[in-house]
Amino acid sequence: MSGAPDDAVQRIFGPNLLHNNNLLYNVKFISACFSGAVAGVLGLENTLGFALFALSTLFTTSILHFVNFRGRSKSYVQGGIVEVLNPGQENVFSFILVWTLFYGIVHVYD
Amino acid sequence: MGATSAPSLYLDPQIRDWVLFPITVVMILVGILRHYVVLLLQTPPKKLPRAAIREQRALMQSNVLRATSANSPIPFTLYKSISQNLSKAFVDGKYLKDGPPKGDAPSTPPNPLTDPQAMDGMMAGMKTQMVMMVPQMVIMGWINFFFEGFVLIKLPFPLTLGFKSMLQRGIQTPDMDVRWVSSLSWYFLNFFGLNGLYRIILGGDNAADAAQNMAASPFAAAGAPQPGQPQDYNKLFKAECDNLEFSEGLHKWVGEDVETRILRKYGRIAP
Repeated sequence: MSGAPDDAVQRIFGPNLLHNNNLLYNVKFISACFSGAVAGVLGLENTLGFALFALSTLFTTSILHFVNFRGRSKSYVQGGIVEVLNPGQENVFSFILVWTLFYGIVHVYD
Repeated sequence: MGATSAPSLYLDPQIRDWVLFPITVVMILVGILRHYVVLLLQTPPKKLPRAAIREQRALMQSNVLRATSANSPIPFTLYKSISQNLSKAFVDGKYLKDGPPKGDAPSTPPNPLTDPQAMDGMMAGMKTQMVMMVPQMVIMGWINFFFEGFVLIKLPFPLTLGFKSMLQRGIQTPDMDVRWVSSLSWYFLNFFGLNGLYRIILGGDNAADAAQNMAASPFAAAGAPQPGQPQDYNKLFKAECDNLEFSEGLHKWVGEDVETRILRKYGRIAP
């Protein structure tokens, strides 16, 4: 009936949007932790470690996009697939934290 | 002990058991504690008298009415009557907290320092700030006191020499690789990295989230007035009258010509 952007925004149901966003954030955090653990255990250094983080972000995004969102990220997340791709500003630190932790446990300590 | 990058240092596993894990566990637990302390310290919002609430809500009501005016679910007569009612009340000053402005007394916005409601808001913000800052200081002091003078862990990624003074505080080796860091840097890593964990354990807006608090603190500490509170409602109401009139012009009922549209849809009359 009306395709104007204002009306489209008005039709979004608040609690659903919030729930989706929280879910997305949690998934990204947990995937950052696991990829940090993998990087640490494997003993990856420098750029290899960050490459693993980028790879895991891409992998998570593709699973979310194709399985959960059934190929239509725009319907579930505001900002479409670019928003899903963004790993979240704090998850980089979480990745580094878990990476350092596991690297230290496995490779530095006897 | 002066090895740089090729032969690595051997660290006592007891350091891992007694420093690495305890620091992390303590920070997680203190974060959870902070969240609950803030929750307990929160005073329930003061119940406002009906006139004050009406003053705040009248603006919202008019905004909601105007928001859908171009595609309005209510027919024009109903819309117009609500809109006119609100306009008249705004102009008369009926919805103002202290009643219509008396005569030509200059209406000044309530001073944030003396208006008790704004004070409560600022106090709540400052209390949260204190609860956030104090445990951080305490933990940093604890770490500096007990866990100083030894290397804790090796970072998997390189950093520039500039970080050496910050991350290797207390270790007097001028040419050790910057990747070997002391306990304080582990504290910083935890400080930034545990926010996601808090969000999972404590739910969405928890008080332990460092990033949110740091972003909010410059504004709360500067005592910026909360939106809507110390503002002059009289002026706002007058401005709102104009907006209402404008939206009245824009009004279009979704049910307009609905009979024609249905007939057209089912092919009874020519499109």
